[in-house]
Amino acid sequence: MEFTLLFAALTGAAAAWLGLRIWPDRLPERAFDQLIGASVTGLAVGRLAAMVDQGINPLTNPGELLIVRGGVATPIAALSFILFLGWTNRRQLSNLDALSPSILLGLAGWQAGCLWRGACLGTASDLPWAVAQPGSDITRHPVEIYAALLLVVGAILVSRLGWRPWLRSGAALTVASLARLATEPMRPSLDGGPVGWYLAGLLAGIGLIALGLLRHRQSATPT
Amino acid sequence: MIRKLVLIAFVVAACGNGISDNPEAAAIPDLPETDAVSFAAHLETIDRPAVVNVWASWCLPCRSEAPLLNTAFEQYGDEIEFIGVDVQDTQAGAKEFLAEFGLDFDHFFDRNRSVPNSLGGLGTPITFFFGPHGELVSTHNGIVDERTLALNIDELLQLDS
Repeated sequence: MEFTLLFAALTGAAAAWLGLRIWPDRLPERAFDQLIGASVTGLAVGRLAAMVDQGINPLTNPGELLIVRGGVATPIAALSFILFLGWTNRRQLSNLDALSPSILLGLAGWQAGCLWRGACLGTASDLPWAVAQPGSDITRHPVEIYAALLLVVGAILVSRLGWRPWLRSGAALTVASLARLATEPMRPSLDGGPVGWYLAGLLAGIGLIALGLLRHRQSATPT
Repeated sequence: MIRKLVLIAFVVAACGNGISDNPEAAAIPDLPETDAVSFAAHLETIDRPAVVNVWASWCLPCRSEAPLLNTAFEQYGDEIEFIGVDVQDTQAGAKEFLAEFGLDFDHFFDRNRSVPNSLGGLGTPITFFFGPHGELVSTHNGIVDERTLALNIDELLQLDS
């Protein structure tokens, strides 16, 4: 049995837990439980979507839902994660603003979990910090580490934003999408990766920021 | 009630004759049998990199990675040789599997699992990555994900260029 994927997931969970300790302001109750619940939901729905996309019937092959290594549809998983959190906090959606930096830090932990899995490397590169696979002379971008660093910087920047509604949530979505878009060309891929989905995430993030600023301006305008 | 259902399911399963009704599977010819020596000799004749996937129809993770191998074959089939090795299986099971997933590259039937055993692979599935003329470059034990497959294929192409 191989548990490297589990270790990567635990690294992500530990990073999110750390984020909740670093940025505790205005957090909802049982924030860590919410994040774990959203992650498990995202993983399950993303795996289900990948199975359907691969032509595997989940009703006749339910056991394959557990074979996460067989593929997870990242955009569907991300959407399910957001919907789970939105539904859980439907009475106080501003909770999502408080959770945002910790979510980015959790994502950074998941990306850095590539170190457990030996899956950090991307396309070939001659840069001084490029690394080769064991037994190979071809050096490559440590692309997942780039993504993790971008997400850590993004989490810190988002945590410093004000508390205008949607601002932090929108900024976090923008940062997560930008981190993927910036690193995607360095990821080896069979189909080019879901770049369209990341662009949609970027636009949704910018839209949320704009919406938040508009609402803030309207509420500040004297009638 | 549950006991009755279990009993009925058991009887139905026991009465099944295991013969495929799938016309697509029936149309597939028997896979050519191979062993470690003849397979190594076959690899030596291939003058381009090769990806050798060890699978079996009874192997659950093999089902998950089959569509991925199809995608890789469609994309890199012109530059890289893709070969499947079906181990510890039946010809009928192999044909059902191939009919279901449409893996449109060459496959061999290795009843005694001698090919992966000779190459040092563990369990099923396994994916071996070879340079031209059967030079083993790397081995991936267990289910292969898209990133790992793409990275190792890129590694083969870089070595070959």
